[in-house]
Amino acid sequence: MGPLIVNEIISANTNLLIAFFIGIGFGFVLESNGFSSSRRLAGMFYGYDTTVLKVFFTAAVTASIGLLFMSLFGWIDLSFIYINPTFLWSAIGGGVVMGAGFILGGYCPGTSFCAAAIGKLDALAFIGGIFIGILIFMEGYPLWENFYKAKFMGSPLLSDWLNISRGLLAFLIALVALGMFWVGEWAEKKFAREDYEINQR
Amino acid sequence: MRPRLILASVIIPLGLIIAAVPENTTKPYKLTAEQLLNELKTDQQFVHPDQVADMLIQKDPSLQLIDVRSSAEFEKFSLPGAINVPLENLLSEDYEYYLNQDIKLNVFYSNGSTAANEAWMIARQLGYKNNYVLRGGLNFWVETIMNPQKPAETSPNEELARYDFRKAASSALGGGGAIAPAAEVDVPAAKPPIIKRKKKKTVQGGC
Repeated sequence: MGPLIVNEIISANTNLLIAFFIGIGFGFVLESNGFSSSRRLAGMFYGYDTTVLKVFFTAAVTASIGLLFMSLFGWIDLSFIYINPTFLWSAIGGGVVMGAGFILGGYCPGTSFCAAAIGKLDALAFIGGIFIGILIFMEGYPLWENFYKAKFMGSPLLSDWLNISRGLLAFLIALVALGMFWVGEWAEKKFAREDYEINQR
Repeated sequence: MRPRLILASVIIPLGLIIAAVPENTTKPYKLTAEQLLNELKTDQQFVHPDQVADMLIQKDPSLQLIDVRSSAEFEKFSLPGAINVPLENLLSEDYEYYLNQDIKLNVFYSNGSTAANEAWMIARQLGYKNNYVLRGGLNFWVETIMNPQKPAETSPNEELARYDFRKAASSALGGGGAIAPAAEVDVPAAKPPIIKRKKKKTVQGGC
C-alpha cells in the first residue's frame, strides 16, 4: 500500500498538505516539551537536562519499530523508503559544525524556529546565523566541493554491516535507548542545578 | 521513573516481536493496472526480430530466448539457444532462476505475441527485470528473418540494407531453404553489452 505518494494513492500536492499538518504537529510537540528553551537544549551537553535525548531517541525507536510492523503487515514497501546517502567526510564535518553551533547558540535549526514563533530574540539571531551559514556555504561551494563529495558510501545500513535482521537491530536499539534514558536520568540528578527547574520534580 | 517503566513495558515486547518475526520481503504488487496498461500501450516490452537476429548472429551471451509455447511445439521448432518455459509452468520454482535475474536480456516468444505478452506481464508484476517480448512472435520472425521479401528497387536505402541483413541472417540462422545448423554453437565468453534498465523511482526527501 504505502508509501502513499510512490503508489499514486495521493498526489504530490496532497503529500505537501499532509507534510504541512505534520510540521505543525511537530512544532507543537517541540514547544510543549519546552524545546524552545535554549537552557533545556544546552542542558543536554552539561547533563542537567536530557530531554532532547529522550524525545529524539523515543521518536527513533517508535518510528523504527512502527515501520517494521507496517512492513510486516504489508502496509508499506520499505524498499521505497528514501535513505539519505552517506558522504562520510561531509557527514562528520557537518556534525561538528552543527554541534558547535548547537552548544554556542543553544538551539538546533528546528527548535530555533519554534522559539522564534513564541517571540524569542536569541532565536531570531540564531536564524540569522543559519542564513549567513547558508550564504557562506553557497558562495564558497567551489572551495569545499571536493570535501563535500568525498568518500561516498551509498546508503549503508547498520543491520547489513552487522549482518543481523532489521527487526533484531531495532530491538537492540530499543534496549540501548532504555539504557540511555536511565543514564540520562542519573545524570540529571548528578548534575542538577540550583537555578534550573524546568525538569526537576 | 514511572514513564520509563511504561515506555519499557511497551517497546520491549514490541521489539521482541519484531526481532523474532522474519522480515517481510513480499511485494504485493509492482504496478497498478493503469500503469501496466500504459506500458503495454507504449510497446516498451517489444524487441524487434532484427535485433534478436543480430544478437544471435553475434553470439551475444547476454541474450536469453524463452519459448513459452508447449514443449511439443518447442521440440518441433525453436530459435537457436532458446529454453522452453511453457506459460502454465512460468511460476514454477524451477524457472525462477532464469526469470528473476538482471544480467541477461530475456526475450519471451510464442507463435504470435499474446502468450509471450502474458508471460511478460506476469514477470513484470513480479518485479523481475530485463524481460522483453519478441515483436510479432515466431510468425513475424518467419516473415521477416526467415523469408524476407525483396523490397522494390525504388525503396529507400535503409529498406534495402535491412533486406540484405535479413537475407544474411536468414542463411546464418537456417531459414529460406538453407540447411539447418547443428544445434548449439559454443558461446564465447564475451562481455555482455550494457543492458538498459528501467529506473526505479524512490521517494526523495529527508529533513
